Amino acid sequence: MTATKGDTVGIVGAGSFGTALAVALARAGRAVVLYSRTPAVAQAIATTRRCPRLPDVVVPEAVRVVESPRELAAAARFLVIAVTSTDVGPRLIELGAVVDGSHLIVHAVGALAAPDDVRVSELIERATPVLRAGVLAGPALPGDLAAGRFASMVVASAFDEVTAEARRLLNLPPALRLYGSRDVIGVELASALAGAYTAALGLADGAKVGVGPRAVLVTRAVAEAARLLEAAGGQARTFAGLAGLGNLLVRGASADDPDYAFGQALARGEAATTRPTEGARAAVTALRLAERKRVRMPLLAGLAGVVAGKVSVADAARLAADTVAAEE
Amino acid sequence: MASDRPVLEARSRLDGFNADRERVLREVERRVVERITARAADGGDASLEYVLNDVCVCEIKRLEAAGKDAGRWRELAGRLGGLSPAALAGELRHLVAHYGKDIVGNFDPRVYRFATKVLTPGLGFLFAPMQSVTGGVGGLLAELDSRIQVEGPLEELRALAERGTLVVTPTHSSNMDSVVIGLALERAGLPPVTYGAGKNLFTNPFISFFMHNLGAYRVDRRLRFELYKDILKEYSTVLLESGYHSLFFPGGTRCRSNVIEPSLKLGLLGTAVTAYGNLAAAGGAHKRIYVVPVTINYRLVLEAETLIQDYLAETGKSRYIITDDEFSRLGRIVEFLRKILVHEGAVVIRFGRPLDPLGHDVDDDGQSRDRSGRVVDLRSYFVGADGRFRADEQRDAEYTRLLGRRLVQAFPRESVFHATTVVARAVFDRLCAAAGTRDIYRLTRLPPGREVPVADVIAGLGGLRAQLAARPDAGRLHHRVASAGDAATLDDALRALGSYHRHPVLERRGDVVRIGDVPLVYYYQNRLAHLPVEARP
Repeated sequence: MTATKGDTVGIVGAGSFGTALAVALARAGRAVVLYSRTPAVAQAIATTRRCPRLPDVVVPEAVRVVESPRELAAAARFLVIAVTSTDVGPRLIELGAVVDGSHLIVHAVGALAAPDDVRVSELIERATPVLRAGVLAGPALPGDLAAGRFASMVVASAFDEVTAEARRLLNLPPALRLYGSRDVIGVELASALAGAYTAALGLADGAKVGVGPRAVLVTRAVAEAARLLEAAGGQARTFAGLAGLGNLLVRGASADDPDYAFGQALARGEAATTRPTEGARAAVTALRLAERKRVRMPLLAGLAGVVAGKVSVADAARLAADTVAAEE
Repeated sequence: MASDRPVLEARSRLDGFNADRERVLREVERRVVERITARAADGGDASLEYVLNDVCVCEIKRLEAAGKDAGRWRELAGRLGGLSPAALAGELRHLVAHYGKDIVGNFDPRVYRFATKVLTPGLGFLFAPMQSVTGGVGGLLAELDSRIQVEGPLEELRALAERGTLVVTPTHSSNMDSVVIGLALERAGLPPVTYGAGKNLFTNPFISFFMHNLGAYRVDRRLRFELYKDILKEYSTVLLESGYHSLFFPGGTRCRSNVIEPSLKLGLLGTAVTAYGNLAAAGGAHKRIYVVPVTINYRLVLEAETLIQDYLAETGKSRYIITDDEFSRLGRIVEFLRKILVHEGAVVIRFGRPLDPLGHDVDDDGQSRDRSGRVVDLRSYFVGADGRFRADEQRDAEYTRLLGRRLVQAFPRESVFHATTVVARAVFDRLCAAAGTRDIYRLTRLPPGREVPVADVIAGLGGLRAQLAARPDAGRLHHRVASAGDAATLDDALRALGSYHRHPVLERRGDVVRIGDVPLVYYYQNRLAHLPVEARP
């Protein structure tokens, strides 16, 4: 029996996360449609059942791959945006022409959107007619999702219906558990900052700072991130949840995490030759936001400085030592 | 989809209200009773016993605080525990009918015609001192015309009023707002609207007669129990669904500080979303509701002194409806209208572009458009996973918040700034720069009689003009200010602010402007509080 539009999950982006989520959903018997804007990727999945971005995983036949956003919007009411922050703008504009007010959109973009540093949920409202939107974030690594290992994420939306639909369609017990939240701003920023701090952890580990300074880095990251979340209209405690600390603890211990690997490359002095990751971009954009909100973020400033090649690793460490704050 | 296009729903809405009153009331009763009875199955706070007990407790508290007999309520409260479900439902029906009748408004087209044509314009003719006007009735009309200006996309709004139901949502800074908006609607050729007015306003028999017959419904804000709020919201919902144009002051009470409402109370505004959802569910997706932001821009505010003192003493209470007792005194209205007659261009009522109940822009054809300008199918926002209409209070509350956000953006954009506002702002900026603070509490403790150089005020006016020219989203200058020079604008404002209030707010003394009343300067400039302070050159 063909699944209804309301019971089908549409995923925009056949990157590692989007593909892994599609695989996990299909294995659990959910109807899923995967859209890739790159015809070569879509055709590769359709013919070889392998995604170039997740080559070790077989993509089940049940994952329907489409090459046009119109097909995706016609097949699924619930859409997950799983593309990078540099790509999300054009994808949403494209999607805006084919969705209507009945669609629900959640995004899993872990950075502010290029080029003007807006939260992706704001971009959804600007670029599409969809009002019922939210954000999906948390420590669900593509490898874990594809292998069916237990993972957890949080979905945040001002609309309870979006949270309920996300949980109905994406909860895959015992493999994937979804928690709900109404703190959209908090979860979006926490997710972006977690990527930045993952890079910072990669940098610290690459510089072999030791476990003590590493623990200080994590806890100070929680403190400064909470300040930014609150100043931006989110809830400070959200950073201590799955999107923030949860993400950081998992990704900061994962050698193949792109942000972590990027941090390690920075430690080796390869800033100029390493392609910036989402976490690296998040460091720069979140710092701009912090400056606008007048929030002091020494860790983030240090990292952003190293990313931009303006600050040495040693100077970043001194900056991060935060000589101003007297109280925790 | 062609069938969902807004269509002509033209009919004189309020004209037929009296004949429709019983149906409206019965519909309100039916919905409220059905909803509460259905919820009662969940037990606990939703049980009928709890709902009815809540009414009894509030009524006993209210009546006994006023030294009145609450025996009826004590007796009912005592019986509730022993009543069968059917008897509880009977009591609920009885109470809903009782409060519904208390709320329901009236519209007498004869009174409306009398007020708008014979007493033209509105109540103004009755209250204006005849000897101050030369040229008889025609002269008076011309006088008032020059003092009350109505602007905005009026032709488009008139067309939309024929196609759908208008929800007029003005800013609220004076007790006179409901009189002024009534005049403005009539002037603009827009239909009369129904609105909630505090029950205390009905105590003056004269005003009560007009309010009663001009579409106002009574809101008793002493009744704080949930059942009453439920009935009130349902009443507004049914009115909108039935096509009765309505008015809400979304800011709640008069804005005491005179800033343009930065946040709104969404209670009754949410009934526009609910009403549209209900219409769409019943196959009436083409029956549109249009929310019209309106700014009421006074050159001078009659009760500014009281308002700002209230604000500074932090005694301003948030209220949703028009309730102020001052307004129930005829004398205040007379005083207002007399004073308005001596100030040309005293009030500008500016209507903004309409929005739909979800905050989308509405085009001249009555269609909703998203932020990218695409026509959207409004009904699609109310469907669930199965593609059918789905009732969801939380979703609708969120849509209402979106609408509120758009209104908050529209208010500054549609604001019109008089000479009094821009001069007060220029003076205030200079005062703050000299004092090294913008904290009003510190400024009010400065020694009296502070002065700022006229040259500085003129320079400040130039800066404000440039800022407003660069930011159309921040509002516009009154045409007289726009066409006059800075020196003439200063003179104009000084004339108004020097004579209207009990003491001169600002006075010119040679090369300086003397500040007579810091809180009032603060009050008038607050209308421009959304405009950032520019660094002094």
